[in-house]
Amino acid sequence: MSSIATDLLGDSPSQTHRRPMLPPVVRGLIWALIAFLVFNTLISEVLDRMPYHPFVTRASVTVGWVAAVCAWLLGVGVWEGVVKPSFGFPTLWETPTDWRKYFMYSTDHRVIGLQYIFSSIGGFMIAGFAAMLMRLELMNQNLWVFSNPGAYLSTVGIHGTVMMFSVGTVGLVGGFGNYLIPLMVGSNKSAFPRMSGISQWLVPAGIATVVLSPVLGQWTTGWRGYEPLASQDPAGIVFYYLGVFALTTSSLMVAINLTATILFKRAPGLTWNRIPMFAWGMLTVSLLNLIWLPEIQMAFLLGLLGAVIPFPFFTQVGSPLTYLEVFWLFGHPEVYIVVVPAFALWQEILPVMGQKSLFARQWGIIGLVFVMILSGMVWAHHMFTNMSNSQMLPFSFFTEIISIPTGFAYLVVIGTLWKARLRLTTPTLLILMSMFNFLIGGVTGVLLADPVVNLQVHDSFFVVAHFHYTIIGAMIFSWFAAFYYWLPKFTGRMYSERWGKVLSVWIFIAFNVAFLQMFLLGLHGMNRWVPVYPAYLQPMNFQVSLFAILLGIGFVLHFLHIAWMWWHGPRVEENPWRSKTLEWQTASPPGEENFTTIPTVVRGFYDYSDDRSAVAVDVHSDAPKGAR
Amino acid sequence: MADIVGFAVAWIVTSALGELGVSAVRRGSIYYYTASNQALDGESAFGFILMMLVPVVAFIVVMLLYNMIRFRARGKEIVRSHVQFYTNKTFVTVWIAISVVVNLLFYLHPTASALEQMFNGEEARYNRQDLIVNVTARQWQWLFNYPQYNITQAADANGNSVMFLPADRTIKFVLRSYDPFHTYDANAGVIHGFWVPAFGLKQDIIPGETRYLYIHTNKITSYDVNPMVRVQCTEVCGPGHPFMEAPVHVVSARDFQKWIVSQQKQQQS
Repeated sequence: MSSIATDLLGDSPSQTHRRPMLPPVVRGLIWALIAFLVFNTLISEVLDRMPYHPFVTRASVTVGWVAAVCAWLLGVGVWEGVVKPSFGFPTLWETPTDWRKYFMYSTDHRVIGLQYIFSSIGGFMIAGFAAMLMRLELMNQNLWVFSNPGAYLSTVGIHGTVMMFSVGTVGLVGGFGNYLIPLMVGSNKSAFPRMSGISQWLVPAGIATVVLSPVLGQWTTGWRGYEPLASQDPAGIVFYYLGVFALTTSSLMVAINLTATILFKRAPGLTWNRIPMFAWGMLTVSLLNLIWLPEIQMAFLLGLLGAVIPFPFFTQVGSPLTYLEVFWLFGHPEVYIVVVPAFALWQEILPVMGQKSLFARQWGIIGLVFVMILSGMVWAHHMFTNMSNSQMLPFSFFTEIISIPTGFAYLVVIGTLWKARLRLTTPTLLILMSMFNFLIGGVTGVLLADPVVNLQVHDSFFVVAHFHYTIIGAMIFSWFAAFYYWLPKFTGRMYSERWGKVLSVWIFIAFNVAFLQMFLLGLHGMNRWVPVYPAYLQPMNFQVSLFAILLGIGFVLHFLHIAWMWWHGPRVEENPWRSKTLEWQTASPPGEENFTTIPTVVRGFYDYSDDRSAVAVDVHSDAPKGAR
Repeated sequence: MADIVGFAVAWIVTSALGELGVSAVRRGSIYYYTASNQALDGESAFGFILMMLVPVVAFIVVMLLYNMIRFRARGKEIVRSHVQFYTNKTFVTVWIAISVVVNLLFYLHPTASALEQMFNGEEARYNRQDLIVNVTARQWQWLFNYPQYNITQAADANGNSVMFLPADRTIKFVLRSYDPFHTYDANAGVIHGFWVPAFGLKQDIIPGETRYLYIHTNKITSYDVNPMVRVQCTEVCGPGHPFMEAPVHVVSARDFQKWIVSQQKQQQS
């Protein structure tokens, strides 16, 4: 991979020469700092001086932030990779082939995928640390970790926002989606590689913005940013809106890229009937992103205007209820954006591990598509405490029937596993655990869909337990399954089965003991967003915290194990799982190009009744140069 | 065939054990502590759904475990399964039929039936003898006002808000969110949530709207008997949110009258 940026222009590498340059990430940070100072000063000192003239005002920080993010993107390489070539300048920039390529703008979908994965892990660690602080606080019924409830609530907000927008919606889509989708559909690149390169660098910017929000002031709303509280809170909420804007923009660009890749970059013979299950998952989830992310961005923009101008659209003199509605109109599809990739992974990995043909494939696809459609019709079940009686019945109805298409994922898996030869590898184990966890999340979801029950358990820890079952339980467990399943693809190396299994059982037990008790806490009267609570709830909270901390340690150990095996694991063959999908039909890791010749697909990928390959010709790419 | 029988036996046994467990929980109390008819309705809906879902959950869990153990690959070799099939019309049809039927059942009962109970409880013709309690939520305090008895702000001897209710009576809570001490501040109102855990229902209180919540108390109890008999804010409303609670006392009609008199005296002094 000598120089992707020059390849795009057709320049030959001989014309390029190296110029001394700061590491792109460092340059991006410096440019961002300069841009922030210039634009912030311009607003707060020149254009919009406030009484007592503070150096940083809400207006100046907003404009300064926009400038800083643009400068950051330019600094990490968009300047050389996109802007200058657009104006016809030759690209004098060589892309390194070693680890440094992961720390700069790239147009290679595999580099971008891994960058997304690293960004997501970073967000997971930061937001997970916030969760540990929260659980530590809740071990005691009084304030003892935090000095005031506002600090606790800001932590809750950072935890939820970073987890949702940089892990839940990104880990499997921006990360695994970007890396695998072009490989799975038999293409050497994604549809919009340059845009895709830009979108990744919005993720660290967004995470940093949300994490730095307490610099501007506390915000107490949690990740939902409910109005009118948001407009009443100190200025930290400004960085919530801006950070989320960066993260959702990134996901939107991923969605455009993945949709176009799946629609237009498929190899010959890869008909709609043969699209891999994971690609179906990415397609449905990308359509959800395309529909709903612009909607919530507009809502947050109105909220931001409310905080900056002010523009009291959602306050007491406006309509607070409207904010709740536009938030959940996006908010419920959002949780399916998180979990639909997990459904797809179950159906992707288990036929391979069982070496048995996928059962009732069309019903699995119907399930994914109908979950996507119905997810936009159930949103108001987050608001049973806010709606008139006549609205309860339809929303309850749609919420209950979304269990039917969701159940199809189970139907497919059960039929596939029946009389299979299931290898109990770490990915298999994690997928089965994920299915168990989602079952608990789903069953409690049926309870929550019933309005009379909902009116009791809404906004209690019952709900907290329910959505952590669907997000950690289903999505994060499947995320780890994906790490283990595709680790040989990323690195050509295998993890340790023993450690993988031990750690998986560890997180399974810690997760279930912690979160099952949260259901009971909710039923016993534990409400949400409280660092201080009645003393009778303390003993169970103590146990929950203990197991939550064990869960956190388990996650860290998983990452350490994966990181160790990334460099030191035993080498394996190219297709260690004997999968028939396209990404395994080339070298692991793939060479300079995914496929030296674009494969021709001649049959479906999930038929294990014989040993015939799904592709017509040998499509091996070169072995990686300077293989590790 | 042996596998189907083996699975069916495991499933039936697990379901039976699960049903025993659920009925034991239902004989106890799913909601831990209840003090209103509405809470009992909710609790029985909860129990009914659990009871119906036990065989469904058992089917999936036993199936996953059965597949995992019975059909696991032995040895290191990767061998294709010798049994291969792509679909099974009977299984798929039965699966879809059952999921549709179970969902329609849940929609009719308990969803629609329990909601009908709740709607009926709110009908004006049933509620002529209601005790009206005006509940005002401000940051961060509950204020209780009894308009039928001219009590503008119910408080204990220390001046903390307290709620007394007569037992076996329908209570109409009139819910508003604003700050009566700072009415000039249009930004003071935020969303609060009115919840008495032992009463089994809650409602959000949105600034600018007046909302109603009906409860029929069914026993004499108080915050001192069980801490679930308290008013608790459930919608995050700023840093004071965790402290926004008030004790509730459900007393006999006579004790309620006594309390009214003492409040009226306290108010005049």
